[in-house]
Amino acid sequence: MAPQPDDKRRAFEEEALPHLDSVYRVALRLAGDETQAEDLVQETMLKAYRSWHQYRPGTNVRAWLLTIVRHTFINEYRKRRRAGTEIDVSQVEAFTVFPEVQEVDPEGRFFDQIVDDEVLRAIDALPDEFREALILSDVEGLAYAEIAQVTEVPVGTVKSRLFRARQALQRELYDYAVEMGYIKKQPHD
Amino acid sequence: MTEKHRDIDCREAADQLYAYLDGELTPARAEEVRRHLEKCAPCLAVSGFEKAYLRFLEARNFGREAPQSLRKRILDQLLFLDEGRSDTA
Repeated sequence: MAPQPDDKRRAFEEEALPHLDSVYRVALRLAGDETQAEDLVQETMLKAYRSWHQYRPGTNVRAWLLTIVRHTFINEYRKRRRAGTEIDVSQVEAFTVFPEVQEVDPEGRFFDQIVDDEVLRAIDALPDEFREALILSDVEGLAYAEIAQVTEVPVGTVKSRLFRARQALQRELYDYAVEMGYIKKQPHD
Repeated sequence: MTEKHRDIDCREAADQLYAYLDGELTPARAEEVRRHLEKCAPCLAVSGFEKAYLRFLEARNFGREAPQSLRKRILDQLLFLDEGRSDTA
């Protein structure tokens, strides 16, 4: 006997809906705007509900939902994303801004002075594949293997994208902190 | 059997540092990084800084919740989908 709609809805409400906030946060950073994010989330959840029979109970439901939100974003929303200035991740070669701050702020206290909006602006300026790795890891706390599942790339790729995303973001936040006078720029040799 | 640990250099420690701090290395690999940090003061300093950076990212409250109106809209639509199905059944 096919599951009754009530059973299906109950299962979906119990298992999938608790992850709505997570789906929303990821959608917000992917789409870059609240209205688009809401539409994206709504479409994601309805797609998930329609294909609930494809979800295998006991597997990672959050990763499954995040895969759907990502596909929906790529297929239908990405071109609508307002294009701003993108951080050039390929320019990130040197590991860490630490050599530049070690004299004045070895513990990285300047980070704490940077307001959330500025951090989000910098995250939003990362290219898509780097932004999604960083959001999934550092905002949503997914493990590398889960990020690999959601973004459909090998774990090694996740690792290198995350590395470069974090370094690019760190560089961006450092430049901002210098500009704001939170930290003194050290003269280069 | 005790596993033999390789000595890794600063370059490799730097490459593995985030995975190490994220707890994503196998115990043997993590031990290599840990040993390197123990005897290399410059790398240990970098590690402390990167740890602070990751903690800063983690502590930022980007934890926005989905708006209640959105939640309600989704629930209404689920109901609508179910009714649509039972009507056509």
